Amino acid sequence: MRTVDTLQDIQDMARGAVLLGTGGGGDPYIGELFLQAQLKHGRKARIVDVNEVDDEAFVLSIAGIGAPSAMVEHLVSDKLLLKLLGRAEAFYGRRVDTLISAEIGGVNSMFPLALSAISGVPVVDADGVGRAIPHIEMTTFSILGVKATPCLVMDENGNVATLEATDDRTAEDVIRGITAALGASIYGALYPMSGRQMKATAVRGTLDETLRIGQVIRLGRESSEDLFADLLAYLGRNGRMAKILFDGKITDVTHETRDGWHFGRATLGALGDGSDMFTVDFQNEFTVARLNGRTVTIVPDLITILDRETGEPLTGERLAYGQRVKVLGYAADPLLRLPESLEVLGPRMFGLDEDFRPIEALSGD
Amino acid sequence: MVAPAYRIGVDVGGTNTDAVLMSGRQVVASAKAFTTADVAEGVVHSVTRLLENAGLEEGRFDAVMIGTTQFVNAFVQRSNLTPVAAIRVALPKADGIPPMSGWPEDLIEAIRPEIYMVGGGAYYTGKDYAPLDEDAVRHAAVDARSKGFEAVAISASFSPIRPDLETRAAAIVRSVMPDARITLSAQVGGIGLIERENAAIINACLGDMAAQVVGSLVRAFRNLRIEAPIFLSQNDGTLISTQTARRFPIMTCSAGPTNSIRGAAFLTGLDEAIVADIGGTTTDIGFLLRGFPRETTAANDIGGVRTNFRMPDVLSIGLGGGSLVVGEPGKLRVGPRSVGYRLQSEALVFGGATLTATDIAVRADQAAIGDPGRVADLPASLVEEALAVIHARIEAAVDQVKTSPRPMPLVLVGGGGILVSRHLKGTSEVRRPDHADVANAVGAAIALISGRVDKLYDVGSLGREAALDLAKGDAIAAAVAAGALESEVEVLEVIELPMTHMKSGSVQIKVRAVGPVAALV
Repeated sequence: MRTVDTLQDIQDMARGAVLLGTGGGGDPYIGELFLQAQLKHGRKARIVDVNEVDDEAFVLSIAGIGAPSAMVEHLVSDKLLLKLLGRAEAFYGRRVDTLISAEIGGVNSMFPLALSAISGVPVVDADGVGRAIPHIEMTTFSILGVKATPCLVMDENGNVATLEATDDRTAEDVIRGITAALGASIYGALYPMSGRQMKATAVRGTLDETLRIGQVIRLGRESSEDLFADLLAYLGRNGRMAKILFDGKITDVTHETRDGWHFGRATLGALGDGSDMFTVDFQNEFTVARLNGRTVTIVPDLITILDRETGEPLTGERLAYGQRVKVLGYAADPLLRLPESLEVLGPRMFGLDEDFRPIEALSGD
Repeated sequence: MVAPAYRIGVDVGGTNTDAVLMSGRQVVASAKAFTTADVAEGVVHSVTRLLENAGLEEGRFDAVMIGTTQFVNAFVQRSNLTPVAAIRVALPKADGIPPMSGWPEDLIEAIRPEIYMVGGGAYYTGKDYAPLDEDAVRHAAVDARSKGFEAVAISASFSPIRPDLETRAAAIVRSVMPDARITLSAQVGGIGLIERENAAIINACLGDMAAQVVGSLVRAFRNLRIEAPIFLSQNDGTLISTQTARRFPIMTCSAGPTNSIRGAAFLTGLDEAIVADIGGTTTDIGFLLRGFPRETTAANDIGGVRTNFRMPDVLSIGLGGGSLVVGEPGKLRVGPRSVGYRLQSEALVFGGATLTATDIAVRADQAAIGDPGRVADLPASLVEEALAVIHARIEAAVDQVKTSPRPMPLVLVGGGGILVSRHLKGTSEVRRPDHADVANAVGAAIALISGRVDKLYDVGSLGREAALDLAKGDAIAAAVAAGALESEVEVLEVIELPMTHMKSGSVQIKVRAVGPVAALV
């Protein structure tokens, strides 16, 4: 058990969460400010390791649901989160012992921590994907057998909807409809599970990973060492490959919405005299990175674009013509590369006409 | 037969206040004076000198255009800030992140704010999720009045598409506090409640100072018997009236680099180029695109506070005329340390004892400044290496700013342009236009008037073309309302940001339209 004690820790975690958000997941800045506001009131989030959670414990995800551009106007309410926890306990008929983030990438890394600070219920150092994903059925919880429903969503006006869906794909569609009707920014309690189920399905150690990534980038910046070398060394610590795929300048960014997805492509050119052309496609999150047309990293492996001077990870909305960036490729957690996982969040689920190949194979070294 | 018409451009920088006199597209004269604590005094010196240089007793002045960084400097230095009452209309939403949540502590102490959160707000569809709680607004105003506040910032959820939430709240506040200076967030920012609200609060706390500085500038020109309308430069290189600048000082906060890039464009006639403003301590390198500076897209901090203001995207490196030249042969460094404004006493050519980049330039016959005899003994190998370092540093920075390997023209402005004598990799040519040392003031004098929108439009029901037309029309109307000539206003930039995760078809559209000052045509 440990607590999140300082503003610095919160900032570091938010920065790490952007990196793992692979361009999507919503900007954690709102979550960062929310958590800071709790800390100013002396309320600290508590974090427990996976093995500290009892097998019989009741574990629940708390998440913000909706469009990032609505959330930046409606922000978040601590009263609502506390009410949501109370309503969820009444709905499931038992006390929540441990909170868990559904997706660590982006803003939903922060809401369980803030609710922990408000309520005292600890958050487990794990999540349901180790990155950001656009759909409810794409978490490892869902893929490995823990359903998102029965679940409960609510807004600040007191609108509450409960749902029991036949499958998580359907849950996604229904919740999307409810979200739109309530202004595109609501909060939910979902993926009810036991401690035992959590241990079998969660991606472990990811809260700590956000903190450590943020620290590595910040310290690298301050000590004027090669911060990218430090970052790659940290990410690669467990044998997962991490690699700078490209170093260049953004020469074009396109955006387009189709069927509720944010599609786009960032095109990069080399610095100096190089003639290489690099593209990163996105569909809410970055999905595929190609060097001169050849795929070098593809979903669910992680692709993140960072400012080449400061190492600041950038969300898709922030990408713009002229930015000088490095593109990072990072092997996904092994749980995401299981055949059953690739059926749900592999390239073909994002309309890409190719099979998943791990970054280790694609990068040729 | 009428006398020729002139306009005066002024740039109030940290060290110098520059002035230029222009007639049509001609720079008639220029002058420099030191910036003074009371900005107006330096302006009077500079403009008096300007009229002397031009040999002008009297003339017809059509307009005075002033660029100043005073307001942003005051904010960054936390001086002369007005206490602000911040009222946010958003409950029951958003109470988890009260106004000013992410602000540095020293700034909160300097502003001594009072925060009020009241009920009301709209969805992205424009529909109310809660009605404006008029009683709560009234109570807030009564409380703020009793505590002596005179500046008020009002923000509301989705006010860019429902500005009435803020204007109705403002009417209530005004009924309680008739003399309050009120900033509405929708007047100073787009989508993003935190950033927009921050901009409103920053603006509110600069209110007293803006009234004082603008008032003193207006009086200064009246005393000079120059009765022309006065405009101030804003961040995007376009102008606002003194009345607008008084109410919205935040809009002027990064006019300096913008004016220098726009001035370089004008002086060279180039539309697309790299512009390097080489000063005493730093070189600011920007990208001129279609006649305007390329802007940053990332969130911009002003004095440690996040805003969504668009700023010119300028890369600053520690290299200038006053840069120290230090280190062993083979490992020579030029900058980032600099003698700064003490160049005139510390550089070798001025009789000082410090080897600076300026001394190297003089020794290499790139400039005739001070006493060349004092650097005649500098070894040629040292000069050669220092020049190589200087050029390499500028080349690296130019390469970072460029977006394609294609060589582009480089325009040198600012006094430090003497440092460059060789071909620079990545550039097609190096231009040093006449009046390059006062490019900032020229940038102010040629400025246009702009109008912007940043709102969510319902592309789903309007269709994309109709929504874009609507947004463009709104931006053009805003430019005309600000004083631009309607027939000449052009749409300069259109950015569409779709609403992710939703099928609804709401698209955030940002449009910027600009045109010449109607009074000048």
